[in-house]
Amino acid sequence: MRRWLFPLLLGLVLAFVGYHVALAQFPRVLMGLATHRIAKTTGYNAMFAAPLATDKARAIVRPSPDLAYSSCPFDLSNGPVLVDVAPVPAPYWSLSIFNSRTDVAYVRNNIDAGNQPIRVAIARPGQPVPDGMTAVRVDGTTGIALIRILVPDRAQFGAIDAARKASSCKALS
Amino acid sequence: MKPWIRYAICAVLGLALGAGAAIQHVRTGVLGASRAIGPWTSGSDFGTARAGAYTRAVVSLRGLLALPAHEARYYNAAVDSAGEALDGRCRYRVSGGTIPAKWWSLTLYDHPGYLVANQAGRFSIASAAVPNSAKWEVIVAPAEQAGLWLPTGRIDRFELTLRAYLPDDGGIGNMTRDQLPSIVKEGC
Repeated sequence: MRRWLFPLLLGLVLAFVGYHVALAQFPRVLMGLATHRIAKTTGYNAMFAAPLATDKARAIVRPSPDLAYSSCPFDLSNGPVLVDVAPVPAPYWSLSIFNSRTDVAYVRNNIDAGNQPIRVAIARPGQPVPDGMTAVRVDGTTGIALIRILVPDRAQFGAIDAARKASSCKALS
Repeated sequence: MKPWIRYAICAVLGLALGAGAAIQHVRTGVLGASRAIGPWTSGSDFGTARAGAYTRAVVSLRGLLALPAHEARYYNAAVDSAGEALDGRCRYRVSGGTIPAKWWSLTLYDHPGYLVANQAGRFSIASAAVPNSAKWEVIVAPAEQAGLWLPTGRIDRFELTLRAYLPDDGGIGNMTRDQLPSIVKEGC
């Protein structure tokens, strides 16, 4: 039995390590899966205007049925990505940018922006961004830029949907 | 058995057990379990770099792409005000008053966090639908109800999420038990 003492101690130490490594990797893995799932629809660095969430929605957990979501899964491997958000006829809209660890790198809503368009360049540290452009620096190469638009009444969705399609996401080259 | 085989067996088992325990811990985690207020749980560090590894993991599973507290606060309830699990075959009265935020909504989810199919095609009640924002009631029940009704779809277990956008205090504090709605079971 004594021959197992040190191997068991090693197992205990590695169980502790395994627990913390798995915990740390969990968000990155789930964020990666979500980013990939959205990118399957329109590809990376493109804006996808999702329909209003129903019980059929499975792309993201806990979708809000009161919000219209437009999402851009971005990949900064080949340089920064430009996001333009067009104002929409809704009482609330916002742009939030999440890195691969699920941290919010940037959030701005229509009230902050005075209901004016929002333009930002998502870039990794060190990637050059044109002068005068707001740079949002993120760790890692992938993530999601998400536009949320409050739809107070589903009857208003048509007008909001038409207006939000002026928002875009594209590689800055 | 050669010594290296004993080490290899224990190393592999240790790593697998540790990783499995982490996954199980996160799967059984509750969104915002760090702060319980009556039946509601919440957290103020969602989506921020200061979120701990466990919070970050649970949020990624149960509320991916959550906004930081200054933009929105999320309060989740898996139990009623008496502490009993929310049952989709029962009828509940959710009573609230002024929610200190620009706008809010109350949404019903199944345990994995998806909207629940129902004949009315209704998944939430938003503040714009409430006639008197200072005193309001929503009936959460499987069958259609008079007034504001949120269908349960008769599922075994459901959860309610209260989203409070642009909180009056900038998200620095939690709502009190008096500010959050009560959830009272009226029958099954």
